[in-house]
Amino acid sequence: MSAAGTSSADQLAARQQRTAQVRRFMRRREPPLVIVTLLVFGVTTLLKPGFGASNNVSFMLATAMPLAVLAVGQTVVCLVRGIDLSVAPVLGIAAVSTGFLAQDHGDSVWSMIPLAIGIGIGLGFVNGLFITYARIPPIIATLGTYTVYSGVQQLICNSATVVTLPTQYEAVGIHDFIAPIPWLVIPGIVVTVVMALILRRTKWGRSLYAFGNNADASYRAGIRVNFVQLSAYTVCGTLAGLGGLVYLCKYTSAGYVSGEDISIQLQSIACVLIGGTTLTGGKGGVVGSFIAAIFLTVVLEAVIVLKINFDWENAVVGVLLLAAILVDAYQNRQGASMRYSLGRMFLSRPTARTGATS
Amino acid sequence: MSPTAARARDERTLHGDLGDRSGTAAVRYEARNIAKAFGGARALSGVSVTFEPGEIHTLVGENGAGKSTLLKIMAGIDQPDVGELVLGGEISRSLTPRSAQLQGIYLVPQEPSLMGELSSLENLFVGIIPRGHLPFSVDWKEMERSAGAYFQQVGLHIDPWTPASQLSIAEQQLLECARALTHRCNVIFFDEPTSPLTARDAEILFELMGRLRERKFTIAFISHRLEEVLAISDRITVLRDSRVVAEFDDPKKTSREQLVEAMVGHEIAVRQRRNRDLSSAETVLELENLSAPDGTFTEISLKVRRGEVLGLAGLVGSGRTETAESVFGLRRATGTVLLAGRPYVHRKPATSIAAGLIYLPEDRGRNGVFAEVEVARNITAAIVPHLPKRGLLLSQRAEQAVAGGAAQRTRVVTPSLGAPIKALSGGNQQRAMFSRWLLADPKVAIFDEPTRGVDVGAKADIYGIIDAISDSGVAVLMISSELEELVLVCDRVLAIYEGHIVGEIAGDDITLERLGAMIVGGSQK
Amino acid sequence: MSVEVAKAPRARRRGRFDTDDRWMVSLVILLVVELLYFNLGISSFWGGGWGGATSFLGESESFLYGSMVALGVMFVIFAGDIDLSVGYMASFAGVMMAEFHIGGMNIWIASVLSVVIAAVIGAVQGLVITYFKLESLLVTLAGGYILNSAAVAWEGPVPPYNFPNSYDSALGTGTLSSAIQIPNQLIIFAVLAVFATLLVHRTRFGRQLVLVGHNRHAAAYAGVRVSLTRIRAFALSATFSAIAGMCLAANYGTARDDLGPVLLLPAITCVVLGGVDIFGGRGRVAGVIIATFIIGWLTPGLLDDGVNDTWTLMAPGILLLAALTIRGVVERGKGVTFRDKLEARFGPTGGAVAAPTAAAPGGGGEQNVP
Repeated sequence: MSAAGTSSADQLAARQQRTAQVRRFMRRREPPLVIVTLLVFGVTTLLKPGFGASNNVSFMLATAMPLAVLAVGQTVVCLVRGIDLSVAPVLGIAAVSTGFLAQDHGDSVWSMIPLAIGIGIGLGFVNGLFITYARIPPIIATLGTYTVYSGVQQLICNSATVVTLPTQYEAVGIHDFIAPIPWLVIPGIVVTVVMALILRRTKWGRSLYAFGNNADASYRAGIRVNFVQLSAYTVCGTLAGLGGLVYLCKYTSAGYVSGEDISIQLQSIACVLIGGTTLTGGKGGVVGSFIAAIFLTVVLEAVIVLKINFDWENAVVGVLLLAAILVDAYQNRQGASMRYSLGRMFLSRPTARTGATS
Repeated sequence: MSPTAARARDERTLHGDLGDRSGTAAVRYEARNIAKAFGGARALSGVSVTFEPGEIHTLVGENGAGKSTLLKIMAGIDQPDVGELVLGGEISRSLTPRSAQLQGIYLVPQEPSLMGELSSLENLFVGIIPRGHLPFSVDWKEMERSAGAYFQQVGLHIDPWTPASQLSIAEQQLLECARALTHRCNVIFFDEPTSPLTARDAEILFELMGRLRERKFTIAFISHRLEEVLAISDRITVLRDSRVVAEFDDPKKTSREQLVEAMVGHEIAVRQRRNRDLSSAETVLELENLSAPDGTFTEISLKVRRGEVLGLAGLVGSGRTETAESVFGLRRATGTVLLAGRPYVHRKPATSIAAGLIYLPEDRGRNGVFAEVEVARNITAAIVPHLPKRGLLLSQRAEQAVAGGAAQRTRVVTPSLGAPIKALSGGNQQRAMFSRWLLADPKVAIFDEPTRGVDVGAKADIYGIIDAISDSGVAVLMISSELEELVLVCDRVLAIYEGHIVGEIAGDDITLERLGAMIVGGSQK
Repeated sequence: MSVEVAKAPRARRRGRFDTDDRWMVSLVILLVVELLYFNLGISSFWGGGWGGATSFLGESESFLYGSMVALGVMFVIFAGDIDLSVGYMASFAGVMMAEFHIGGMNIWIASVLSVVIAAVIGAVQGLVITYFKLESLLVTLAGGYILNSAAVAWEGPVPPYNFPNSYDSALGTGTLSSAIQIPNQLIIFAVLAVFATLLVHRTRFGRQLVLVGHNRHAAAYAGVRVSLTRIRAFALSATFSAIAGMCLAANYGTARDDLGPVLLLPAITCVVLGGVDIFGGRGRVAGVIIATFIIGWLTPGLLDDGVNDTWTLMAPGILLLAALTIRGVVERGKGVTFRDKLEARFGPTGGAVAAPTAAAPGGGGEQNVP
């Protein structure tokens, strides 16, 4: 806007801009999500006072962290209109690799971080290669790598399970920083904040949003589209690897079902959607996904505590997922005309241009 | 300008001061002997064109003549097979969109290519985001500061934080222009910018182009609207069949006929209006107070008689397509639709087709053709419930015969019926579309922009097809933004402005002047 | 041009060798190579002679229900959608049938009823997807998990078992007769396969299905009832999954919640490997059928070969990635540029602002602050 004068037209414009800003803020997903989380927490505590106890809160927050870290990674990939269905075994491979090493050699948590991240980078990079250079649609590519990585996880485990770890792991996983906040929350918050800053304030981050919005235009604007996609999947893998280490600390064990056992695939996607990022890309953010991870964990714990049949755990997640996408659809509803398509998923191919160009 | 110097210029923090153009003198951009083929299709052969600074140089030609391809090559989006590009006296090698921008060349595409969810502000700077203090970081404050000046330059009055998807199409184009300026480009190409614009918005765009011309920018412009081409160009180059066939240095002295002749290659038989007396024919389609809930059209009432061609004139966005879609059943609307005197409620495309009401959509690429599907199946797509069967299963052979017959009626030219329809030219695809709808045995036909994307030569054929259809007793409702064709083809024309009917003229009263006046709001009864 | 005399365009040339045909040929070659490989390598694979080729054909029992699921999900993929709930549906249908049976119902009636109910559930999923205009990926993902929970809850602590022998034999482990050792499941699959082929390629519904998959908008404008077609596809997918679930339960003699979900990946692998475009429209059912055998015989073949159990689990994934990578690289070589792929995937108006995307018309101006 041009330099503000004192004319009433300028003041009106400024006021309109402020209203627009407020309206934009109101439409964001995070505030209602926090409120709903607190509501669920509050109601459950009322019904079962033990729910609100410090050690339970700490437990829930710690449980949410592996999911949160993966959800952040999944968000990055969804921003570029992709999806990563291989996050569970990536987490698993990182968990068992670092777990066995720690079990056998007593390595500290810190020394395992590079390994976990390295595993994630490698596996995520492979995903990126299939999607970028072999041009396999993300859903198919990551379904394929999911199979392969799960196999690799099994091979590594060779029927063994990680059972004993240096006490440091347990300390990180279970003990509190300041009651009721567990140490484990710190990696989660750090990851989220760093990623959020990167997405907002770096060229790379902005190019993710640009690509997710309009791949062709980003190409023309000089954004290196191959690199953007490749790096997005690498980042997702990295965070999944880190999540494996977080998982290891939290559960102080790892085996060939690690990752699968906490349904982290479905849940990470659910977090992304509940957190406000769309699968069509270009819109959303990691803070929402982080909050959604906590929200989801609180809800699932509430289900257990309220003695609702735990067999229905997956159903609950499924229902929440449906609710999230219905809310999204409602907020973005268009007119009834068939002329407009409600977002382009990577699964639906829009009409290719036909005919001669002029 | 060498790439290094260009990069250096790019690295400097951007200011809103566009007066400083030191280092970027007015530049001539030449294409020499460019040839380009896509697969088997030749797009350009030995084309040489020069764009001088301080000029609006327009390219005209039929669809497929090569105009867009040439500009895309000159902007680095495609690579020429043969030939060279000379920018400011230096030969440009292997141009990419990025390097072209760095050297000052910008192409405003046919459809604005923006990031919908991002703010207009950010769209302005995609690709050249100003660096902040920390490495890799982005300076939002700087962007905000400079954006305002750029918006003002192009005449865009919006809140910079508005997501690009919420801008009108005219505003989006201006945003593209602003992008060209932020990239310090002084060679700007416009690829058919005026097709989706209203006359007023086009005026604003032309004013901007004029201002840029004053500042010695090098401007290229593609348009199909020959009146505006003659009005604003300083130079016109005509392309036909991938070659340059004519150059007009003095558009003021050039006539439309000369242009058309150059574009088409031979004199087109000038079509005459025919006046028919249809007063005794019964009304087949009637709309009573049709209104859209969202206000795109209001209180539309009209009647179409058997064998009549009723035109709907109006600007883009005036609500005609929405009206047609409502009648066909793709949209909700209040009011009544009567087919042959009987009310038609609970409208749906399938029901419409069954009742003999068909609609040829405006956007052929998106809503019309199935690109990868073979021509025969495209033609039979509207009559799938009636595809011929042998026993319980579909009969391939019978279907081919049906499709072949329909294709012959409209003279579709195709290597074979089994070829994917995307291999056909625009004109032939449209003929195939007409075949499709003819197979549905219509009583009422709504054609929405029937000659869009069809070259001048094939247009005459399409008018012939429409004549034949109406002669056979079908009531035709024709929506068009090209006033000439309304004058030539219709028995009556209604003008729609901002969703309301503002006028009706018939017979010899249908003239370009009257129509032109009505569609911008002047009413005439 | 206006004065040309147009002749009738040539009818489709028989034997036009297009991409689909090429892919089919490659698949057949792959299958033959695979069979030869296992045949030559392992003598125990061949029973010897046609009538005694039990172990060869008999092996197919281990994967045919997966093939049925593949056929089912294929319909949905043809229409441009995807159904991630198929595996869960198979298990759920099996559990449902078994629980009805335990409750006293004749097992055959229970089976038919379960299939019907499954079809209804599939249709409901389709309804939710089309009415609310949601993404099929998400709805079926959620739906699948809901079905999974339902199966877990219903089967109780001990999954139902103990079906009549005739049932086990007819749908699971039996063969046509002791003389002709063709597994019953193969017969069932053959029927389903023929049905699917004719349905997609030679019926009006199939034509509409494929048109919807190619271009949903154009299909709507051409009068195709798009929503109904899609819903039918989801119903078909659920039906085939349920039938597979019956065979699964009969084969194992018990109906459990965890037998089905593993079928999802191989099923999608078969469809994609079979040449069906994941975005819809293109492809041949015959290709999918061949692919189901390629994938199906892969695991038992490898196991017989002495390959580690885990590797056989990875094999379909590896095969899928390899096949698609080759296809992608070949296309690259043919000069399908990155931009073409972008255009095909995201469209010329992909993300373009003129065509409204998921943005709300009045508001919804969210900043992209993470």
